[in-house]
Amino acid sequence: MPREISLFGAYIPTLLLIVIATGLLTMAIDRLLVHIGWYRLVWHPALFRISLFVCLAALSGLWVYQ
Amino acid sequence: MSGSDSSAAISAPSTPPASLWQQIREAATSWNQTERPTWIYIFKMVFAALLALGIGMRLDLDSPRTAMTTVFIVMQPQSGMIFAKSFYRIAGTLVGSLAVVLFVALFAQTPELFLLCTAIWIGLCTAGSAYNRNFRSYGFVLSGYTVALIGIPAVVHPALTFDSVVTRVTELSLGIVCAAVVSALIFPQRSTPALIRTIRSRFSAFVDLIGGTLGGSVDRQQLENTNARFIGDIIGLEAMRSSAVFEDPDVRLRSGRLTRMNSEFMALSTRVHALHQLMNRMHGDSHAVIVEAIESYFREVGPLLTRSGGEPVMSATDAADASEKLLHFKAELPKRIRATRGELADAQVSASALLDFDTASELLYRVIEELHAYTATYASLVPRTHEREQRQPAYVPKTSLLTASIAGVRAGIVLLILSAFWIASGWPSGDFAALNAAAICAIVSALPNPAAATKKMAYGIAIAIGLGYVYAFHIFPHLDGFLLLASALLPVLLLAVYMTTRPATAGIGMGMCIFFTFLAVPDNQAHFNAVTYFNQSAALMTSIIVSTIAFQVLLPPATAWLVRHMEKQLRKQVVQACFGKLPQLAASFESGTRDLMHQINALTSEQAALQKSALGWMFATLEIGHAVIELRLELELIERDWPKLLPSSAQLALKELRDYLPALFADPNARTLAAAFHANNRAINAVHATIGPAYRERSERHRLQRTLSYLHFIRTALLDEQSPLQPLHDRSANNNNNIEGKPHAA
Repeated sequence: MPREISLFGAYIPTLLLIVIATGLLTMAIDRLLVHIGWYRLVWHPALFRISLFVCLAALSGLWVYQ
Repeated sequence: MSGSDSSAAISAPSTPPASLWQQIREAATSWNQTERPTWIYIFKMVFAALLALGIGMRLDLDSPRTAMTTVFIVMQPQSGMIFAKSFYRIAGTLVGSLAVVLFVALFAQTPELFLLCTAIWIGLCTAGSAYNRNFRSYGFVLSGYTVALIGIPAVVHPALTFDSVVTRVTELSLGIVCAAVVSALIFPQRSTPALIRTIRSRFSAFVDLIGGTLGGSVDRQQLENTNARFIGDIIGLEAMRSSAVFEDPDVRLRSGRLTRMNSEFMALSTRVHALHQLMNRMHGDSHAVIVEAIESYFREVGPLLTRSGGEPVMSATDAADASEKLLHFKAELPKRIRATRGELADAQVSASALLDFDTASELLYRVIEELHAYTATYASLVPRTHEREQRQPAYVPKTSLLTASIAGVRAGIVLLILSAFWIASGWPSGDFAALNAAAICAIVSALPNPAAATKKMAYGIAIAIGLGYVYAFHIFPHLDGFLLLASALLPVLLLAVYMTTRPATAGIGMGMCIFFTFLAVPDNQAHFNAVTYFNQSAALMTSIIVSTIAFQVLLPPATAWLVRHMEKQLRKQVVQACFGKLPQLAASFESGTRDLMHQINALTSEQAALQKSALGWMFATLEIGHAVIELRLELELIERDWPKLLPSSAQLALKELRDYLPALFADPNARTLAAAFHANNRAINAVHATIGPAYRERSERHRLQRTLSYLHFIRTALLDEQSPLQPLHDRSANNNNNIEGKPHAA
């Protein structure tokens, strides 16, 4: 993966796009987890959600900077 | 632990010589309950602000203090509110950034045109924010003043526009993320428990009111107070719901039911009020037999809303039971009412008294029906999904276009004046004064008393300027490293944030938080330049003074004229009731009327007389408007099922009524009142004649009877002694008496 992507002539770090994409992905997963009632089993839902996001973002960041 | 503590606190006063230990424990308990959440909030806010500053410095952002200011602006006690506010803040900033890029591309060479364009844009956005509610309005504010914030400096250096847009968005996002993460992770204060508390307390307050109203133990004053509180509750619940959906997935799943509960609650409280008024009038007319007959039913309603042990319904689970009982009661009611009516008819009660009985029993049936719906929705909150979730009439806020545009024009004018002054005088910090005034106008417009708020903020800014000077020139130069900086900032920030948590000093605290950060906190490349500092301080003071003057001079929101205008809007709701499109009309009528009343309440919080008169109009509008909507629904059903049921004379009379009622509310005077009253009486006569003495099939007769009872209800509402229409009656009193007996003479 290139580290910067040209968007209408402006160079944007790929990582930024990935973070946005992971954010959307996290939201989608979150909706799904709500529907199956997952959060009843979680001690600190906000912490869980943020950790999920950080894990996903870090994994995809590693993929860019490997 | 807290259980035993609180019981100790309660039992302590009964044993006067409490030991020192007991007193300390008592004090600790009360501190724990009242002050602890505030202090947690204060520390969280300061922590988030310093975190944003630190990360911003570590990331080498241009001005990390913007991130810090953002934290102060978005921080709210509950995390749901922060998410909602952050969401709209980001959205507004993005829209504003696009506008900046566009404007600079168009007018980079001609600052005058650029400023004019910006003023118009800010005016539009401020108007938009006045037109919207909750945090969505905040999004509009942001898209307006972002243009000023980025655009005005960009006029000086157009080439830097894109960079400054990117920088600002980055810094803002950093601030938002810090605020959101800190508030969600560290001692989270969620909106959901508050939401549940509100729903519960409102339900039990309402049950009390119903018990009192139907039992006849509530006087007008108390009823007015309760209803005024319900208006605040309805709007508060809507606000809470709209922010809690951002925070709690469980609330999001139930969002539709919460909206539904709110609209059912509005319908129900209008109906209960109507029934209460009708009973008051009947007490006055001294049909003792009728009153007694109907009140025996009322007494049965209270017990339906209690649990088996006799204690009132509290939780959603209890409500399921109550809803069952109500359903049963509702099913039995028509049969029993018919029996009672038969007995009354046998007892040779006059026709007019019977009509009163019909109207009251119709209202009672509707109260029970709506109470059942409300209770059932309350009970349906327990499971995660429920059929009641589907397709809800949304809450429809009703902001007058006029007030919104006044706010917009004011913000535009302020920006124009200051930027004209900037260009004419060549003042180096003039751009800053202009953009700041625009931002202040946009932010403050949404508050009930903007002039007072800006004045408070001005004190805050003055303190910030003084403290900022000491910090910037006597303290910061000696500091080295972020930790020292943070510990030096800590006392000021703690004090400022503490002040924002007290209502009396909230404005001062907010001014300190935002502008101390802005003036004194160093950027990555610290500049210590006294001339710039004083220029900026002067610009800040100028901008806040000009905004304060603008709010006091350019149509201040609390003038009697504006209140009269709003009152007129309120009465105009009747026109909507008479001519609006029927589907969903009742719900939008209810929420629109209450929303207007809520705005009037906010405007007139210190003028009790104005408030009382507006409240009177609200009740008159709600009662008559509601009755008209039901009448129209009824007529539509008649039209569908028995097109020939009503003769043309009756239809004509009903159509006339629909023309005269809006005329009355558009311009209430003795003449229009008399005209509406006559039209109503003619309609009553016509429907009465249609029913006739001859035998009719029961369903047909029932429909006509219902139509008649709505008309009769409008009539009693027009005659209501406490309605603001009452003073208009005097001159037409003779006419009334002539007609009064006539329709029921048969």
